[in-house]
Order: sequence, then structure tokens, then C-alpha cells
Amino acid sequence: MKAGATSGRRRSLLFLARFLLLLVTCYFAVAWRPVNDAVIVPFTAGVARAAAALLGLLGEPVSVAGTVIRSSRFSVEIENGCNGIETALLFGSAVLAFPAPWRRRAVGLVLGFAAIQLINLIRVVTLFWIGAHRPVFFNSSHTVLWQSVVVLCGVALFLLWVSWEQKARAAADRGAPERR
Amino acid sequence: MARPSVAEADTVRLKLDGRSALRLALGFAAAVAFWFVFATPYERILAAAAESLVRVFESPPVTRLIPGEGEIRVERADFPPASPRPGLPTADTHFNFVLLAALFAMAPRPLRPRNFGRFWLAAAGLFIVHAVAILFQVESLYALRLGPWSEAHYGRFAANFWSAGFHFYQVAGRFAAPFALWWLFARPEVETKRR
Repeated sequence: MKAGATSGRRRSLLFLARFLLLLVTCYFAVAWRPVNDAVIVPFTAGVARAAAALLGLLGEPVSVAGTVIRSSRFSVEIENGCNGIETALLFGSAVLAFPAPWRRRAVGLVLGFAAIQLINLIRVVTLFWIGAHRPVFFNSSHTVLWQSVVVLCGVALFLLWVSWEQKARAAADRGAPERR
Repeated sequence: MARPSVAEADTVRLKLDGRSALRLALGFAAAVAFWFVFATPYERILAAAAESLVRVFESPPVTRLIPGEGEIRVERADFPPASPRPGLPTADTHFNFVLLAALFAMAPRPLRPRNFGRFWLAAAGLFIVHAVAILFQVESLYALRLGPWSEAHYGRFAANFWSAGFHFYQVAGRFAAPFALWWLFARPEVETKRR
């Protein structure tokens, strides 16, 4: 019983070590200037265009120049930290660090990334609206509320993926012939 | 990579159901309120701790960190009297307390003394992370933003070390720290029964 608990604790710490190592590696990969210029900046510009399109649909006329969204009342630049990449790094590192088959990891990474970007898009649109119509609330909404919500959604998505992964594993174990 | 064994997967069993999601949301709301009330006194303590840490890397110790109005002002005894004093925005550094509290609130009985004790241990860990983040922020400022003075006192390696460290905290570390501390201290609380 004690040995089992120790072993569980060791595996838990191993997950944490793998998670931190992957996070640092992924961070350096995306922070490297050529990757940042060729992938992250165009991606962030895409987030700006998608947010502008959504704002247009909601009756908020805006224009986009690169990563800047502008209207007659307010303008905002989407920077690193506001493009959902940081939450995706956190989520991706946790999924890759968790013991699971590669196929389920891949499913988690694709669906999780899409969900995080959707949540982040809602965040950018909401923050722009707050900046244009309730500017006094912009700073606290930007720094505390929405950043925390997006990261918590990332953690919640990881926990949902773990639940799904474990159900899929249990189903596979039940279906497999017993081996001794 | 080899396929992990069932035994290995068994040890890290977590779940997110409706109740834990509700506790997460309520914990988040309570933590935001707590953070708004206590952010200013916390910044005073944090500035004092970070100042001591910065001074470890100085000879003679000349940096003073003065908290106030949502930022920590950097004072140096050798700054020209007329020059503007740089200010470090602090909310970005320590708002992640809200994340930590919300994650701990997911436990089945979040107010149980054991969970509460672990939460405050993790919060103490986060305080150390905040002080180290401010150390990197101040050193990064010294290394990159003071023109010829920076070039005279910081080599390329040192400048890259401090600025990359602070950038890592801004992009990934400030979100990863609460998750890692929660995992380290509280994970058994959210573990479901073994099959």
C-alpha cells in the first residue's frame, strides 16, 4: 500500500518534470526569432482578422492592419500573450507529458488547440468591445479576468481530455484478451 | 516512446465533472475578489522581498523597489536625480494567484483544513516565484533599457539570460507556475477512486 502510494507520487512528479521540460522546450521553439516571425506573427495577424470579422458581424465596424484592430473609438494590438499561444503551450505540454497513446494525444492536441483559439477569439472580441464602450474596465478585464479565464479553460480542457483518455483506455482494456 | 502501462496511467487519475467545474467557477470569483482587496498590501511585501533578492546580485546594494499605484518604482542610489524612474507593472506578475486559488477550489471539499493548508503552502511557493520574476524583470531592465550604462555593465550572455528569463515568465511561466504548484501540492485531493 505504502509502496503503491510512493510509486504514484513518483509518477506524479515525473509528469510534472516532463511537463516543465516540454513547456520550456516549446517556449524556446516559439520564442526563437525565425519561428516567431514566420509562424507566430502571421498567426496573430490571423487572430486579429478573425476577431475583426466577428466584430463586424456584431455591428462594430473595425479595420485591421497586421496585428492591430482599430475603430473610431478604440484600437488594440494583439501581442504574444493575447493570441492563445501561451495557453496552447500549457495545454500541449500537459497532454504530451501525460502517459497516453500517441493517437489520443494527437486528438487532444487538435481539439484542445481549436477550443482554446475559439475561447481566445471570444476574449479578444469581448475585450475590444469593453475597450470601445467601457474603457474604465479594460485593464482589469484584460489582465486579471480574461487571461485567467482562458488559462483555466486550458486546464479544464486538459482535465476533460484526461477523463476521456481514461475512459477510452478502460474500454480498450475491457475489449482486449486477458494476458498473464 | 513505449506505450505506457495501465498501472502508470492509473496513478494520475483526474476528472472534471459539473460539481468540480462549479467549484472552479466559484473559487475563481472568490479569488478575484480577494485579489482586488489584498493586491496593494501584497505588493508592499513583494517589493520588500524582491528588493532583498535584487541586492544579492549587487555590490554595493543600490536598488530600492518602491510599491505604489499598481506598479513598483525602481530607484537606484546612482540614478541622476533628474532622470525618470522606471516603473514595473505588478498586476501582470501576481494576478496568477487567482488561478492557483481557483484550481484548489476544485477539490471535493475545498475548505477542509488539509486542502486549505496545502493551498497556503502552494501560495507561499507562488510568492517566491513572484519575487524571482521581479528580480528577472529588474535585471532585464538594467541589462537592456539603460543605454550605454547597460552595455557597460552587462555582457551579451547576461543580458540574454535575464531578458529571456523574464520573457519566459511573461509568456509561459506565469500560467505554468500555478498549475505546477497545484499539481505538486493538491493533486491527491482531485484524484478519483482507483478502479
